[in-house]
Amino acid sequence: MKIVIERDALVQSVQDVMKAVSSRTTIPILTGIKIVATQQGVTLTGSDSDISIESFIPAEEEEKIIVDVVQPGSVVLQARFFSEIVKKLPQPTVEIEVQSQFLTFIRSGKAEFSLNGLDPEEYPRLPQIEEENVFKLPTDLLKNMIRQTVFAVSTSETRPILTGVNWRVENGELICTATDSHRLALRKAKIETESEQSYNVVIPGKSLNELSKILDDSNELVDIVITANQVLFKTKHLLFFSRLLDGNYPDTSRLIPTDSKTDVVVNTKEFLQVIDRASLLAREGRNNVVKLTTLQDGMIEISSISPEIGKVTEEIQSESIEGEELKISFSAKYMIDALKALDGTEIKISFTGAMRPFLLRPLHDDSMLQLILPVRTY
Amino acid sequence: MAVVWEQLEQYQPTVMKMLAKSIEKGRVAHAYLFEGQRGTGKKEVSLLFAKSLFCLNRKGYQPCHECRNCRRIDSGNHPDVHVIEPDGQSIKKGQIEALQEEFSKTGVESNQKLYIVEHADKMTTNAANSLLKFLEEPHPGTTAILLTEQYHRMLSTIISRCQVLSFQPLPPTVLATYLQEQQIPPHLALLAAHVTNNREEALELSRDDWFAQARKIVLQLYEALNKSDLRALFIIQQQWIPHFQEKQQADLGLDLLLYIYKDMMYIQLGELEKVIYRDRMNDLQQWAMACSQKRIIENMSIILQAKARLNTNMNVHLLMEQLILNLKEGRAFV
Repeated sequence: MKIVIERDALVQSVQDVMKAVSSRTTIPILTGIKIVATQQGVTLTGSDSDISIESFIPAEEEEKIIVDVVQPGSVVLQARFFSEIVKKLPQPTVEIEVQSQFLTFIRSGKAEFSLNGLDPEEYPRLPQIEEENVFKLPTDLLKNMIRQTVFAVSTSETRPILTGVNWRVENGELICTATDSHRLALRKAKIETESEQSYNVVIPGKSLNELSKILDDSNELVDIVITANQVLFKTKHLLFFSRLLDGNYPDTSRLIPTDSKTDVVVNTKEFLQVIDRASLLAREGRNNVVKLTTLQDGMIEISSISPEIGKVTEEIQSESIEGEELKISFSAKYMIDALKALDGTEIKISFTGAMRPFLLRPLHDDSMLQLILPVRTY
Repeated sequence: MAVVWEQLEQYQPTVMKMLAKSIEKGRVAHAYLFEGQRGTGKKEVSLLFAKSLFCLNRKGYQPCHECRNCRRIDSGNHPDVHVIEPDGQSIKKGQIEALQEEFSKTGVESNQKLYIVEHADKMTTNAANSLLKFLEEPHPGTTAILLTEQYHRMLSTIISRCQVLSFQPLPPTVLATYLQEQQIPPHLALLAAHVTNNREEALELSRDDWFAQARKIVLQLYEALNKSDLRALFIIQQQWIPHFQEKQQADLGLDLLLYIYKDMMYIQLGELEKVIYRDRMNDLQQWAMACSQKRIIENMSIILQAKARLNTNMNVHLLMEQLILNLKEGRAFV
């Protein structure tokens, strides 16, 4: 393999794929970055076996030559050293040449490095992309969907399947669900797709957090492909692969109550601030519990008592209260998380009794909802 | 160099036949426990078995050793084959948890996953119990291979969930003949063949000066023990401790000492062909005359006790001094 490449393009690509390379891995080959050069351009791959990132540098872009592929080929180079080297090279062009036994020379200006490479055949093989089963989402919507669901995944490893977000594709709609069995976050969105294929997979929460960091805030479309073992997100020059969680996700559709006894509509921002203030004292307590009581004339009282510290009460004017009177306790943390995740200036909270889970959703938007289980207090 | 199936079949005919049949018939168990002495080829067999399962162009039950998967298993780079080794003294719970996390996900390349736990008896109780949950509810396509040298230290609950394959030790005489063919002097060859079961290891050991020196010190120690003076304690101080520094080495030293008593026992029983220190036959016969069978047995159990204590982190120096005093029953000091 022999290529001459623009340094800046290479540095950018290496930085992207480095996000997937982990220093503590049991598989020696994964400490490296795989470089493949073809006539179309150069592909870099980094992986920690959970997630893999592939970055493509085209040979030519906008009439400008970025890579000159003298001889196609491939090699795996130690990620730690390679990334440091390319960042500090003196000239704006870099020559990379692989000789026998994967000995690799990196030349720029008068500087020359030689690195011992590894056999690219040893590198894990990523799934092949089948173009027909693709669906598309705008980048900003995808990021939002991740933000609105991933916080609710379970952190305990006792039920590994709950550490992921359930993605279901049905009838041209993507439904994301996350739960840690005390709360649930759900988000729906229309997708652009040509196939009728339906999927039901669970993507690890950690992978989605990483993905969210890599995506920029544009509204360009992201291609999403789901295979048996992996899910692939494809942007213009970046491919993000993640492994899936093995097992069946619990059926969450029956958890969501359809009727309600008390409906409250409040201003999201005000309500969030009230809960936040009430939790100041509750945070010290055992489980961060606040109590909500409906009063006359559409007033709501939020209170919290921590016997050793003190207590707090605050009243807030709601937009409307319909149905029975109610006293209910819940975790302030879960409520704050849920309120932050929901868009919309006004939200509707639907209760079905003090011992039943309650729903939060924006007033005129059906695409997202949050479910919280109340706390039993005496 | 990669080991091929035929090579291992010579040592472990039963085990290899069972594994071959299970692959041919498509009835691979979800968990195996390979049990057998050090050097009986457990690790080699487990890796070969992994290759057979993952190989892309398998011929019958034999892997090709050439495809991507085979080569990556050899170099430890296959993403769906995991090998767990003790981290220091034991296998920690964290290691098993990392394994469980790994296995809650789908395979990197295929739906097949395999893990090998070396020295499975060294798992902490916590780790063993975490693994147990894992063995109880196997994922389809997952194979576990546990390797152990000390079968009786394994939790019975784990044993009952695995298919146990026992690896037979090689007869030491066969190994000794092999070593002698490699120009190793007979007195060292026989001893090395008793210490380990692995050809390469035995060869390496018997070519090592350290081993020859170890043998000399052990014999010296015994001679001193036989005379009723304090010289034995000086030998411990001046020669034994500097020579057998590592724990493993100390263990080997105790083994060598044990073989002297074993030889005396054989002489008393008249089974001369089993004697290990043959070049010292005359001395051994004299010593055997001077000792009662009961004493020999007592002394052997004292050495075995010392070996067990070595594993519980006792100070080696104190351990050896205690051993000497026990072997002499304090006779020299009264």
